[in-house]
Amino acid sequence: MRSQDSDALPISIRGVTKTYGAVHALDDVSLEVKSGEFITLLGPSGSGKTTLLMVIAGFTRPDCGSLKFGEREVIRTPPHLRDLGMTFQSYALFPHMSVAGNVAYPLKLRKLQKAEIAERVEKALETVQLGGYGDRRITQLSGGQKQRVALARSIVFEPRILLMDEPLSALDKKLRDQMQIELRHLHEKLGMTTVYVTHDQREALTMSDRIAVVNKGRIMQLASPRELYERPANRFVADFIGDSTFLPVERSGEQVSYGGMPLKFVQAPPDTPTLALMVRPERIVLSSEGPREGANNFAATAVEVVYQGDSYLLHARLDDGTLIALRGGVRGASLSALPNVGDKVTLTLAPEDTVLIDGSEA
Amino acid sequence: MKHKMTFTLVSALFATTAMAHADDLTVASWGGSYQEAQSKALFEPAAKAMGIDVKQETYGGMSDVKLQVSTGQVTLDIVASGSGSAARAGAEGMLEELDYDVIDVSNFGPTLYSKYCVGGDVFSTTYAWNTDTYGENGPQSWADFWDVEKFPGKRAYRNKVAGALEPALMADGVAPEDVYKVLDSEEGIERALNKIRELRPNIDVFWSSGAQQAQLMKDGEVDMTTGWNGRFDNAKKDGAKVAYSYNQALLDYDCFAIPKGAPNKDLAMKFLAEISKPEYQDDLPKYITYGPTNNLAFETGVIDAATAAGLPSSPENAAKQLPISLEWYAKWETVASEMYQEMMTE
Amino acid sequence: MQATPANASGLRVDEKLERMKLFGLSSPALLLVLVILVIPVGWLFYVSFLGGNGQFSLENYQRMVERSSYMRIFRTTFEVSLVTTGLCILIGYPLAYFLSQIPPRIANLCMITVLLPFWTSLLVRTYAWLVLLQKQGLINEWAMALGLWDEPIKMVHNMTGTLIGMVHIMLPFLILPVYGSMKAVDRDYVKAAANLGASPRRAFWDVFFPLTMPGLFAGTLMVFILCLGFFVTPAVLGGGKVIMVSMKIVSNIELFVSWGAASALGVVLLALTFAILWVASRFLKLDQIAGGGH
Ligand SMILES: Nc1ncnc2c1ncn2[C@@H]1O[C@H](COP(=O)(O)OP(=O)(O)OP(=O)(O)O)[C@@H](O)[C@H]1O
Ligand SMILES: [Mg+2]
Repeated sequence: MRSQDSDALPISIRGVTKTYGAVHALDDVSLEVKSGEFITLLGPSGSGKTTLLMVIAGFTRPDCGSLKFGEREVIRTPPHLRDLGMTFQSYALFPHMSVAGNVAYPLKLRKLQKAEIAERVEKALETVQLGGYGDRRITQLSGGQKQRVALARSIVFEPRILLMDEPLSALDKKLRDQMQIELRHLHEKLGMTTVYVTHDQREALTMSDRIAVVNKGRIMQLASPRELYERPANRFVADFIGDSTFLPVERSGEQVSYGGMPLKFVQAPPDTPTLALMVRPERIVLSSEGPREGANNFAATAVEVVYQGDSYLLHARLDDGTLIALRGGVRGASLSALPNVGDKVTLTLAPEDTVLIDGSEA
Repeated sequence: MKHKMTFTLVSALFATTAMAHADDLTVASWGGSYQEAQSKALFEPAAKAMGIDVKQETYGGMSDVKLQVSTGQVTLDIVASGSGSAARAGAEGMLEELDYDVIDVSNFGPTLYSKYCVGGDVFSTTYAWNTDTYGENGPQSWADFWDVEKFPGKRAYRNKVAGALEPALMADGVAPEDVYKVLDSEEGIERALNKIRELRPNIDVFWSSGAQQAQLMKDGEVDMTTGWNGRFDNAKKDGAKVAYSYNQALLDYDCFAIPKGAPNKDLAMKFLAEISKPEYQDDLPKYITYGPTNNLAFETGVIDAATAAGLPSSPENAAKQLPISLEWYAKWETVASEMYQEMMTE
Repeated sequence: MQATPANASGLRVDEKLERMKLFGLSSPALLLVLVILVIPVGWLFYVSFLGGNGQFSLENYQRMVERSSYMRIFRTTFEVSLVTTGLCILIGYPLAYFLSQIPPRIANLCMITVLLPFWTSLLVRTYAWLVLLQKQGLINEWAMALGLWDEPIKMVHNMTGTLIGMVHIMLPFLILPVYGSMKAVDRDYVKAAANLGASPRRAFWDVFFPLTMPGLFAGTLMVFILCLGFFVTPAVLGGGKVIMVSMKIVSNIELFVSWGAASALGVVLLALTFAILWVASRFLKLDQIAGGGH
């Protein structure tokens, strides 16, 4: 697909701030996106994801900061000269042009020969599995098809950077899962540096090389999906990605204890004034034979048991009153062994799964 | 316009049925300072003298009368009209014949009443000039009005044929007494039109109303215009630098008629008799410089000599003027009007 | 299958009832339309075939063919309407664009000034222009006082004055629908075009302009058709030299003292207007297919 200079471009964002009145849409954001990397901006609504994307695309002028594509400083370059592909949250397909017209538009602007345009348009449409759809009107397309046309249009001119703003948010779950995989494949095939925006954590975890968790205009953590999940930098990230319960712990020297019980853990806790124990429901286990040696054990009372088909969810109250969630697999044996409401149960957490994080509320 | 027309139509239909006959007589005229003068000099005192209630309205001319008559919903008892349109409306059967046994016209000028319409006031269609441009000695004939070398400046002229062709012929050298003879053929009309075509480059505005003539002179928009003497006098009262002459002017009159099937026809006839009396007519010049149609009005002593001398119908002024020929308008107005429009749109 | 016929007839009755209900509900409106639109227009049509003597006759139409002035009046009417519409587009579109781009609060204020003329009477506005434009009017006096020109410029009692007045009155009719369609254009479209490499100018012409076509089209049509029936402005500002159909209608009423001669003109104008609407609606449909989707 790539014909000329096929290198993807790294993006370097330094100290970008954007305020709207009192709102800090972006607050001193710095981010290095490696060449060819697929990076996702993940965060709650209003956190500044779109704003950051718009700064990269050139539609929002930041108050200060620097933006480089490769070696080139582009912070003052107008959008139409930035030469990057982008799909909009709304698709922004031109309703007065056909599918082919939309995809051909960037090529026409680049004054390519008619024959070449036709060829590349068809190829781009094939890439998104819409070969032969060129004559369709935009209004005749389904949501997923529109999404693909938008994608085709943003890659047909072979940009070295691709920006995508919640491209799958309008699709139903099945189509979304399918498109996630397709997008990932496409990225592997074309290899352009990609910045992807979503507030769907699963989508972010599935697709990204790295994820930047954004909150209130700040990047809370930039890490690989796995690191992010396993070692969230703070309670916000931990809370945002996956479900978890936080238990207050005390530190005295090397020792960390919960409710007077010293905790066994593998990874050293962060060096912060307060700490919290992050308990993921799928990591904590229901022990049928009482407290287990070499693990952290918690005595609790079953409050609610919810059967969910592929798994069950147990809500149990610890002695200090904290409600904790536990998710377990359903197999014939374990199903019959499930506790009843009011039963005393023991929950165990292996030292490898005992993750201590910054306890401050971010 | 279509909408406007249909709207007035529908509202007229409703209005006619809704109107109660609380008043004894309904009189319609043209409104403005003209109707005010009529009201003060004629309608109000006559009504008082007769002990009746007269309701006044303004109306849109004989087309309104035609609508009322053709739908059988006549509400107007008396209408004020131009002499020409009254003659035509009468010929079309839209007006009641006037009973001159009731209305005493023995002292009227012979041309100032007709079968369907009795004269109410006499006015002149004449030329007026800006005294800033030409001084008091402005044009003294239609030839002067046409003479753009002697009197350079912009003209205004009527946008309709009424009173527009006679001046052109006189400017073209036709003697006043021969004007209507010449105009009695399409060639004659064309000759007049050609004369207007000649002046056209110097005609800035084709006026459509009396108010407009006065305004044009007041604003100095044109240096010379045709128009009605009363309007020029009023403009002068308002401070306009305007003068006019009766020489070769067209002597015309407004009149009162009774629509066919008027609800109070007999009373209307008596009312017309009343307002035709000199004691009412002599008050008219107080409010507008239009002359009475009843010659006795000059003898009541109400109209002083100076005022009388300035009126269009004073014997001296009347002698300088060409009386409008109603027969000619009845015969030629529609044709001439279309030809006039042709000239205007060229 | 066998049980259905009884059922089906019941359903058919239901449908009929429903339709009758709908008709019943809308009957006051239908009646109103009948009274204020259909009957008068029908009457107009009927009367246009009555001659001076009240008998059926084509004379009112014949006259239009025979007298060249009618042709010229229709031509003037269309010329004035066309030029006015053109000027309204040239002035109104950029103005609407400006309004659509500035912050909404300021835009609303500006919109009020655009609409302000709606609150004053047509006649007053027209005479105001006369006062401004005439030989010793404000514009000439000020310009001469400032030494911009020495002799008064003739700006009224001619085509120029008529056009100035008409454009002023018609402008809101163009701006409103255009502004509406501009506000309806998602800003992402223009951004997308820029992102794909279009300069602001290209983005405007390739994307923004085509998407505002329906509004522009509606506004243009409205202005043009309203212009066709204009009376006051050309009558006052045209100095009697700009004669439009509506003015001829009035003078025919006075002249022929019959509605027929005027009605025939009304009928022809109405027919021409419908013809234009018909042609335009075909374009509009094409346009909707092309520009639909939002
Ligand atoms: N044009 C603007 N004017 C004022 N405030 C703005 C503007 N654009 C964005 N903001 C504010 O900046 C903040 C960040 O907005 P942004 O659109 O970047 O959020 P987001 O992360 O993309 O949210 P979402 O997931 O809902 O799309 C929000 O508080 C928003 O209200
Ligand atoms: Mg967003």
